[in-house]
Amino acid sequence: MRKSIFIAFGAGILLVSYFSWDGIFGSKVDYNAEVKPILNKHCIGCHGGVKKAGDVSFLFEEDMLQPGKSGKPAVVRGNAHASEMIRRIETSDPDDRMPKNAEPLAQEDVDILKRWIDQGATWERHWAYKKVDRPELPSLRNLSNLFGLLDLNTSSWPQNAIDYFVLDRLRKEGLSPSEKADKATLIRRVSLDLTGLPPTPQQVADFVADDSDDAYERLVDGLLAAPSFGERWAAMWMDLARYADTKGYEKDGPRNIWRYRDYVVKAFNADKPFDTFTIEQLAGDLLPAESANLPSRENLVATGFHRNTMNNDEGGTVDEEFRVAAQIDRVNTTWEVWTGTTFACVQCHSHPYDPISHEEYYKYMAFFNNTRDEDVPTESPALRIYPSDDSLRVQEVLSWIEGHDAGVKKEFAEFLYVMEPKVNSHDFDSLVNATMIDGKYLGLKQSSSARLKRVTLTGKTSLMLSVSTGAEGPTLQVRTGAVDGPVRAQVRLTKPCRDSVLILPMSPQDGKHDLYFTMTSPKTPDRWVQIKWVSFQQPLPGAQEPGYEQVLRQYVSLVAKRVEEMPILWDGKGDLARKTHVFERGNWLVKGPEVQPGVPGLFPDLPAEAPKNRLGMAQWLVSRNHPLTARVIVNRFWEQIFGYGIVETVEDFGSQGSPPTHQQLLDWLAVSFMEDDGWSVKTLLKRIVLSATYQQSSQTNQEQLEKDPYNYWLSRGPRVRLSAEQVRDQALAISGLLSKKMYGPSVMPPQPDGIWQSPYSGERWLLSEGEDRYRRALYTYWKRTSPYPSMTTFDAPSREFCQSRRIRTNTPLQALVTLNDPVYMEASERLATLMNQKGKTPREQLKEGYQLLTFQPIEEQSLKVLEKVYHQALTAYRKNPAEVDSILVYGATKTPELAALSVSANVMLNLDTVVTKE
Amino acid sequence: MEKLIKELEYRRVEQQTRRHFLRNCGFGLGALGLGSLLGSCDSGASKTAQVAGGKVPHFRPTAKRVIYIHMAGAPSQLELFDYKPELVKYDGVDCPAEFLEGKKFAFIQGVPKMLGPQGKFKQFGESGAWMSDYVPYMHDLADDLTFIKSMHTDQFNHAPAQLLMHTGGARLGRPSLGAWAAYGLGSENNNLPGFIVLTSGGKQPDAGKSIWGSGFLPSVYQGVQCRTGGDPVLYVSDPNGISRDMRKNTIEAINEINRQTYEQVQDPEILTRISQYEMAFRMQMSVPEVMDVSKEPQYIRDMYGVKPGEGSFALNCLLARKLIENDVRFVQLFDWGWDGHGTSAADNVGGGLHEKCRQTDQPVAALLQDLKMRGLLEDTLVVWGGEFGRTPMQENRNGLVMPYMGRDHHLDAFTVWMAGGGVKKGFTHGETDELGYYGVKDRVHVHDLQATILHLMGFDHERFTYPFQGRNFRLTDTEGKVVKSILA
Repeated sequence: MRKSIFIAFGAGILLVSYFSWDGIFGSKVDYNAEVKPILNKHCIGCHGGVKKAGDVSFLFEEDMLQPGKSGKPAVVRGNAHASEMIRRIETSDPDDRMPKNAEPLAQEDVDILKRWIDQGATWERHWAYKKVDRPELPSLRNLSNLFGLLDLNTSSWPQNAIDYFVLDRLRKEGLSPSEKADKATLIRRVSLDLTGLPPTPQQVADFVADDSDDAYERLVDGLLAAPSFGERWAAMWMDLARYADTKGYEKDGPRNIWRYRDYVVKAFNADKPFDTFTIEQLAGDLLPAESANLPSRENLVATGFHRNTMNNDEGGTVDEEFRVAAQIDRVNTTWEVWTGTTFACVQCHSHPYDPISHEEYYKYMAFFNNTRDEDVPTESPALRIYPSDDSLRVQEVLSWIEGHDAGVKKEFAEFLYVMEPKVNSHDFDSLVNATMIDGKYLGLKQSSSARLKRVTLTGKTSLMLSVSTGAEGPTLQVRTGAVDGPVRAQVRLTKPCRDSVLILPMSPQDGKHDLYFTMTSPKTPDRWVQIKWVSFQQPLPGAQEPGYEQVLRQYVSLVAKRVEEMPILWDGKGDLARKTHVFERGNWLVKGPEVQPGVPGLFPDLPAEAPKNRLGMAQWLVSRNHPLTARVIVNRFWEQIFGYGIVETVEDFGSQGSPPTHQQLLDWLAVSFMEDDGWSVKTLLKRIVLSATYQQSSQTNQEQLEKDPYNYWLSRGPRVRLSAEQVRDQALAISGLLSKKMYGPSVMPPQPDGIWQSPYSGERWLLSEGEDRYRRALYTYWKRTSPYPSMTTFDAPSREFCQSRRIRTNTPLQALVTLNDPVYMEASERLATLMNQKGKTPREQLKEGYQLLTFQPIEEQSLKVLEKVYHQALTAYRKNPAEVDSILVYGATKTPELAALSVSANVMLNLDTVVTKE
Repeated sequence: MEKLIKELEYRRVEQQTRRHFLRNCGFGLGALGLGSLLGSCDSGASKTAQVAGGKVPHFRPTAKRVIYIHMAGAPSQLELFDYKPELVKYDGVDCPAEFLEGKKFAFIQGVPKMLGPQGKFKQFGESGAWMSDYVPYMHDLADDLTFIKSMHTDQFNHAPAQLLMHTGGARLGRPSLGAWAAYGLGSENNNLPGFIVLTSGGKQPDAGKSIWGSGFLPSVYQGVQCRTGGDPVLYVSDPNGISRDMRKNTIEAINEINRQTYEQVQDPEILTRISQYEMAFRMQMSVPEVMDVSKEPQYIRDMYGVKPGEGSFALNCLLARKLIENDVRFVQLFDWGWDGHGTSAADNVGGGLHEKCRQTDQPVAALLQDLKMRGLLEDTLVVWGGEFGRTPMQENRNGLVMPYMGRDHHLDAFTVWMAGGGVKKGFTHGETDELGYYGVKDRVHVHDLQATILHLMGFDHERFTYPFQGRNFRLTDTEGKVVKSILA
């Protein structure tokens, strides 16, 4: 192989080339670098995971060695001449020639394939699927050094391991690092990167004045410890979690899931190790019980990650269809977020390019498919958050149970906190005179019945159900076996009720039975009785004891009580455990063979000690042997800092993704993340921002633009536009408006009228009051069908699905937001007030304003431009004083001077240096 | 290949206007982008550059622009265009069992009764198209239209059916037809977005903004909703106290300082920003201008039935014509309130539907006439339809008799019509059975309709794809056949 090394040396460029011995004697073909791209481009479309034309496929190693329809194997190892593949590529018969109906392969591609087969057709794993090992740091004493050409400046450049890899690459590309950014630029950059907020003027002054060696490191430590750190990184995680405050689909009604967002903020702030963070979000409900026989509240709240899937409340929709859609989204999202693998395609057929089979998709889905959420409007199962007095009453009930039969306490605790197990009433069938009211819940009336199939009744002598009705005195009977079978339970509803909870004794019976719910309601035959859910339970223990009646009442009233609920993951057991089938061609109505939970064969097995469930799967993801997770996660954080990932396609590490620009660096970071840092995100980020690579100036020169226009090789510091959240937060922070309040339900800052017009729902954008109008963008209420307009203008996704990469655009609509949105006008006026306080003359005031925004002294020529626009405005406002009152609406001072300053502040808030991280 | 396309697209979006700016300003860093979005060029010469650089259509388009009129809620084909004399006879008779077996409806339960057409039908024009007295203004246009009477869909709820109609998939997350058009063809006007959405009827369509969203395409391709109240485009108006002159001064100042920054740091992204601010300033002029109908002659406003100071479907039709005239690529109109179940005085196929038609019939007819008059109909495609049809049976929600005449959602038969842009004139494609329940001839699925619209715009729907999550997605998913017989 021919390698070239470019070394920058003074003004000229010296080219040093050398040939390896391999290169001279016909090198070994690199499967991943040379062969796989040819197969992906020309062959695998028809001979891969989607189609297997002529029974030939190049997806799996064993496939290509099998005889195809013609009886001849595509590839005969060691003999290109005998390989059908080569014959078909080289034949001149147009009917036979491959690729079919396309240009013939280039001769050099054919040569590569032939040499590859002759050399034994070695199949190699794609780099990202190989276990990650710690690479050696590149030596700075390499070939170029022997020639005595080492640039003396760069030999002392590296600050940490990152820089060795970067420098090695820069040299190969004939580039050298840029000088260090000035201190003010650096503190602004690192503050925005780590906390999403600009520094305060005081922080900047302190840092600039601090000459000690560890000044920068101490600054970084301070930023990592700031509460705003968690908010900044939660903002990134929210896109991955597709977090929203509404359920999506047509109704897009509200969803109470902000506690999950707060969990993420706290997890980042506490530097919760990323492996734990992963396990809690994917399987917190399966972690060992803590208090009250349940996993900790924190662990349950963490599972909100996968309850951010959409829920369809529209009448008449088939719940099962949307339940399945949510499961599929969980599978696809998990693969995208943690393993950078495009998995959605495997839903319908084997992966088109990477060796993952169709069946493996559903084996993997089986890990998730057992959760109890079924697209019902209540979004159950949900964690019930009792106010403190009710919490005490819950404890009273539980201690009663513990005192009488400790063995059943867990079951009751689970029902009180999660209301599972219960059967949603959409499971009823054989409806006679009965209906699904609004397509959602069972409705019974006079002479009606409905069946619940195959219910295990052993030990379950207590029936709990949720009913609503306006009917007068209807009687509900529950029978086994048939509509006229023996009555097991019955109740007469004496009063109209809404979402009331009843508990009825059932006569004991063992085994599985069909249950028929029948109703007689002669007084009001047309009035419905709605049943939302039913639950078969053990009897509350201690029936003979004094006080039993009261405890039973307390139990039922707690279950019936409306308290805050947050959707969580919760597995079904017994009758409610679910089987998973392959869906033929991805169609949920066409079920193929049943599958057991498992991970694709391309990856290592579940760890030996891991359970074969969601928890085991989560542990597998963060096991040392998993080749992808650490690489993908490290790359995500890198992308946030540098603007591009080391693998630019952060969402796709497969053979169709971008190749890494610095694979060894990525691997090195991934291994240290796992082995040295115990998955500490703060340590990882600290390492990145302490590197000399990160601290480079972001100024560009012509040579860099030519050789490295997108800064792939990192010859300069990152320079990218701020994210949607940062643009807003910065304007509020600098103008002194930003609220430091953390956590809690999402808020509704001002947005133009008429943005929300949901059919059928009475929800309104209720303008938040006081400091809630100025909270960080992270806390803005997120409605999926109508997200906050300025956020989407700055490239935020709608969060219907996980979208790992925000594609940065630069549009006039963005300009209109920062020019005209009242949020920015208010910030302008506040900033003008600050400028007014800080400077005496307009010139001073403008200088101060620029300094407040960028922490840099303004250049004289830019100041002249600002002065000009200031005086133009001042003249206009003096001429037309009424306009002063129009522009200055937030403060008490109303002078033409302040109005002109406000206009100047508006100009400054729109400057490139302000909306860009430099 | 996927990677390549993705990267190309990524760059293209990032640099949409940098290219133009560089070229015009002679920086000479080379052409990097492909198409254009909110119009990135401002001279006649660069228009060619766009066409040359855009996604080259697969074949010559007959529709350069599209106006898609969607009656959200789904109008009843049986009252308007699909005349079923047999249904008159069966009015009030129990629905035959074979219509109900294995079928699921949104609200109908048990055995509903058939419901005869509520409109009075006649034939019009040389083509002899059947139309009812609900749409009198359309009668004169019979010979300009192509009816597709055998439409069918897979979704019987509004939001999924609207999503299917506009994004090719029933779930959220896919790009809309207009976004595909903007992605494929770019804008021909540098002062206006390429894909504009106007809504009326008091509410947004059920599926919300997702039906004009960009899905997994970059966000710049999403439809820009122009509003007839408040700012026509969000934040396009100058704030109170900032005059036009002052805004001009401020943008000049911003750009001047940004230019100085560019000299220093050499980041080409700054050049893009400069041109985007120029464009924003032009949009501030052009959007309110195009959205202002006060300068239209009175007779034109009368023709549409536009009332001064009132947002309405009629106004949106007139605006659609103005936008098309200004080379906006895709104009999407949604009118809410067509869901004639029979639950209220507004929501039925009698008086309620009559009222919706009274609001919309005249403006739609005026729009077609107006486009014709200006010679724009030739290369502008107008599409009219809902997200599904309505049942020949009367709705009996929860098994009860409804207070008004209504029909339930129906996915097996509905009517869409098209005009201009390369479709036949005075033509009817497809046919439903005697009761209007099911298409019996030349059935057209939603994906077929989409394939056909893309075809008219010059794209082969099977080759017009975008890679996402490892798959090459297209508007028509894995289905769709062009309805060749309606092509002129």
